[in-house]
Amino acid sequence: MKPILEIKNLTAGVEDKQILKGVDLTINEGEVHAVMGPNGSGKSTLAAILAGRDGYDVTAGEVLYEGKDLLDMKPEERAREGVFLAFQYPIEIPGVNSTYFLKSALNEVRKHNGDSELDAIEFLSLVKVKMKLLELNEDLLRRSVNEGFSGGEKKRNEIFQMAVLEPRLAILDETDSGLDIDALKIVSNGVNKLRRSNNAQLVITHYQRLLDYIIPDFVHVLVDGKIVRTGDKSLAFELEERGYDWIMREEAVTA
Amino acid sequence: MIHVGKNTRSTIVSKGISAGHGQNSYRGLVKIQKSATNSRNFSQCDSLLLGNKCGAHTFPYIEVKNTSSRVEHEASTSKIGEDQIFYCNQRGLATQDAVNMIVNGFCKEVFRELPMEFAVEAQKLLGVSLEGSVG
Repeated sequence: MKPILEIKNLTAGVEDKQILKGVDLTINEGEVHAVMGPNGSGKSTLAAILAGRDGYDVTAGEVLYEGKDLLDMKPEERAREGVFLAFQYPIEIPGVNSTYFLKSALNEVRKHNGDSELDAIEFLSLVKVKMKLLELNEDLLRRSVNEGFSGGEKKRNEIFQMAVLEPRLAILDETDSGLDIDALKIVSNGVNKLRRSNNAQLVITHYQRLLDYIIPDFVHVLVDGKIVRTGDKSLAFELEERGYDWIMREEAVTA
Repeated sequence: MIHVGKNTRSTIVSKGISAGHGQNSYRGLVKIQKSATNSRNFSQCDSLLLGNKCGAHTFPYIEVKNTSSRVEHEASTSKIGEDQIFYCNQRGLATQDAVNMIVNGFCKEVFRELPMEFAVEAQKLLGVSLEGSVG
């Protein structure tokens, strides 16, 4: 098994506030990892740093993506290398057609991999197949990127983009928030169908509910910037039942 | 825009883009004469800001000499946000391409009306003149 992502002692924050206090996490090919944790524990910060968002200072530790220094790459290089972030709050880009946007994105990735760029016809036939996966209406493609989309449509659109771009490492940042149960099933189903033996998924969530549909191989609990517990799916159930308090209390005792 | 005849209609769409230390203003007069009964005008002024040292100003002048006409004015100002750029970056687009894409999206309404050759030219020109204006 080859590791896709190796996070070692990652310590980071904004300005003088430390958010991540030494995170260690290794994700191998074919694995699905879930990161759970209470509000403000640093889950979204972790996702943002992996994707390369500006404004975070990494003070210690390193992140290797397929053996390369991830933190040294620009956000667009990371994306072209196959790191995909499904945004918690997808951004609207008025006036920019969804099809055009996605086609440009896909062609950047293909160019990077030395593949030929797809023309409009090839692209549209690919898109039609992928749209079925997420049960999206084709009319979304004619609209501007995320503009006027409902919360559920935005989230489904993220996973749809993921389906088209076929990343090696997909990070889903609270993709379940704001979804009703039907949309949750569609999104999870889409994510599951994208699971391959040579890619990996990092699912960030508050609730165990999502993990009923996307079955993780590992569950990590992030509390106050550190992974305090790692287990399998049963850990998620335990959390659902007992909340995060008990782990935090146990931490306090051992610390 | 001067309305003379009755039941006449007009639309003004203005799109301004400011980058660097640039300031752009729209100043336009819509005059409806007494004879132009039931005439209508709609004006729309959209401004796009690139960076935080530039500005946009809108000065609509409206002169209406009869009571049956309808004149509307709408203005908006938006800024290319870091979030939008980051979103594009995260999908593999370089910052410069992302800016071009967003700016072109903003201008689409106007470009659509232009003859093909000119629209292509305008799009390219915009790409060149905005090079390096963000970041």
